[in-house]
Amino acid sequence: MNTRRVVKWTLGVLLVLAAVGFLAFLYLIPPFTLMAPEAFSGPEIAAANAVKLDAITDPKTRALAERGKYIVVATGCVDCHAPPSAAGPDFARYMAGGAKTAFKGHGTFVSANLTADRQYGLGRRTDEDVLRVLRSGVSADGGRQLWYRDMPWAWVANWTEEDRVAVLTYLRQIPAIAQKIPPPTAEATVTYDPTGIEETSTVNAGTTP
Amino acid sequence: MRAREPVAVWRVNEIGNVLDRTGRGHGVTSSSSVTFRLVLAVLLLAGVASAQTSSTAASASGKAIYDQRCVQCHGADGRGNGAAAPVLLPRPRDFAAAQFKLRTTETGSLPTDDDLIRTITYGIPGTSMPGWQKFLSTADIAAVANYIKTFSPRFAAERPQSIPAVAASVPGAPTTQTVAAGKAVYEKLRCAACHGTDGKGTGAIATDLKDDAGRPLPATNLTEPWTFRGGATPQDVYLRFRTGMNGTPMPSFVDAANETELRNLAAYVLSLARKPVWDMTADEVKAFYQAQAAEAVRDPVRHGRYIVTTIGCSFCHTPVREDGSLVDGMLFAGGQKWTAAPFGDFVSANLTSDKETGLGGWTDDQIKVVLTKGIRPDGTRMLPFPMPWPSYAGLTPSDLNALVAYLRTIPPISNRIPAPARPNIVSYLWGKFQLLILKKDMPLVAHPGNSGSAGGV
Repeated sequence: MNTRRVVKWTLGVLLVLAAVGFLAFLYLIPPFTLMAPEAFSGPEIAAANAVKLDAITDPKTRALAERGKYIVVATGCVDCHAPPSAAGPDFARYMAGGAKTAFKGHGTFVSANLTADRQYGLGRRTDEDVLRVLRSGVSADGGRQLWYRDMPWAWVANWTEEDRVAVLTYLRQIPAIAQKIPPPTAEATVTYDPTGIEETSTVNAGTTP
Repeated sequence: MRAREPVAVWRVNEIGNVLDRTGRGHGVTSSSSVTFRLVLAVLLLAGVASAQTSSTAASASGKAIYDQRCVQCHGADGRGNGAAAPVLLPRPRDFAAAQFKLRTTETGSLPTDDDLIRTITYGIPGTSMPGWQKFLSTADIAAVANYIKTFSPRFAAERPQSIPAVAASVPGAPTTQTVAAGKAVYEKLRCAACHGTDGKGTGAIATDLKDDAGRPLPATNLTEPWTFRGGATPQDVYLRFRTGMNGTPMPSFVDAANETELRNLAAYVLSLARKPVWDMTADEVKAFYQAQAAEAVRDPVRHGRYIVTTIGCSFCHTPVREDGSLVDGMLFAGGQKWTAAPFGDFVSANLTSDKETGLGGWTDDQIKVVLTKGIRPDGTRMLPFPMPWPSYAGLTPSDLNALVAYLRTIPPISNRIPAPARPNIVSYLWGKFQLLILKKDMPLVAHPGNSGSAGGV
């Protein structure tokens, strides 16, 4: 009788502890306020550094690519061009795209694959195609102008042409990742919050063929 | 790995009339001039053909193309006030004002149809105006040009005053003699007052130039011909002197210098060109970047403006309307609200120099710490979103200095921003459970309007 009561109480306490522990875990994860700031900036910079620029034999291309890398990191291109997840951008698939955003009245767009992949990435675009997007927001696909709230081309349009070429030189070095990006749709399904005008999904919309 | 395409091959335009292969504007071959004239002739014929068919049909298709391709910058009413316009440098053309820079007509006059067609076809170097020749037929381009003319009554009331001789004469390549003679013209016409003695502003007296709309418009850096709006052949450059650039402080010099002098001046201006990075050697590129870094230290405000206007601060730190357009006049005043479920609502800060509600009361270090570490002056931590401070941790110290120096110069706008609104603990835990355990999609949501005290959007 007594042992039974002890077991019952112990189990009860353990259950409560587990529940509290689980809630505390939920409350603190991800431990944004407990982590050093470098824990956030570090992975982003490390992902950019993982693109091997030392392997470039032409010293001029390398100098341009280094400048391009600096601009790409500071501009935060990867914030949209890495596959999204509940835990933030997936830096392991650097610049493979897949972030889906719906813009009320403008359409739903998925961030492009900027890797060298010849089928799904920038590898299928000419230099001028890439530069035109960065200069004017005009896509090589039929000359569609990208919505500036999606691809913020109106800001990068203010880069000097020389910096734009440096950015292109860096982007060309990013190793290929075969991630397919769905085409844009005219319909903007803003469903999560009815008062919102833009919604960026936390789920990767890209697919691995 | 894909074969790298050498960047040096890249040119501002693909059709070769604006810049030559070296990108410096010299030595345009006669064959490219011939091609250019042929293209023009075809365009002319296309224009005539489209005029002969129903002009109403043409303008209807012009409107359809305009509404699809041009509105984001130039606006539905052609006033140059599209959704993205507030951040574009230079601002998109206001067609209602009917002041056109790139013409073959007398100063103050309207452009010819060919002038408009040429700009739409090839775009404008140094701006975000693209050339549409790859995506639109000549008939479509002519239709858009016709539609653009409907935004101002001037086109119905006036005829463009063409300069016939200009279109016909094509100058030879610059020579040592014409360059030397052009230098004297540069001095005679006091070009240095705006463009500096070296073409890049050194010793310029007029440093706060504005366009007709009263917006700042820095004088063109004459050492970077790949940014010349009207192109960089001797003929292109000469035309700007001859016709002036309507709507800007650049006048016509038709009464101040003769034809030969203006031709020589074009030769001289083109001789000021420096090498662009894509034409440099590796050592030259490195030296160029070093000089650029030194310049950033010497003139931090100017460099900071470049960083702020390219890095996209105003994307979030400006209210947006229901239709997604930025509120002009509220740039950097903050007030854009983002919901990052389940973490709460975050309203973008007022970055203007306002002492009470903006950054005016912050120290330089406080701004830098927020930018690079996400720690607010009161010691509280920011999430790594929606404010993407982890990206700014990589900025060099001199770039950070420059960025802060520029923010200091943004005129104050009073717009008090509310503190982040956290959800109650129950919804927070439930939201976390959905996000982390149920793997529910919980989008980051942006809201329209100004959530700051100034309201009014």
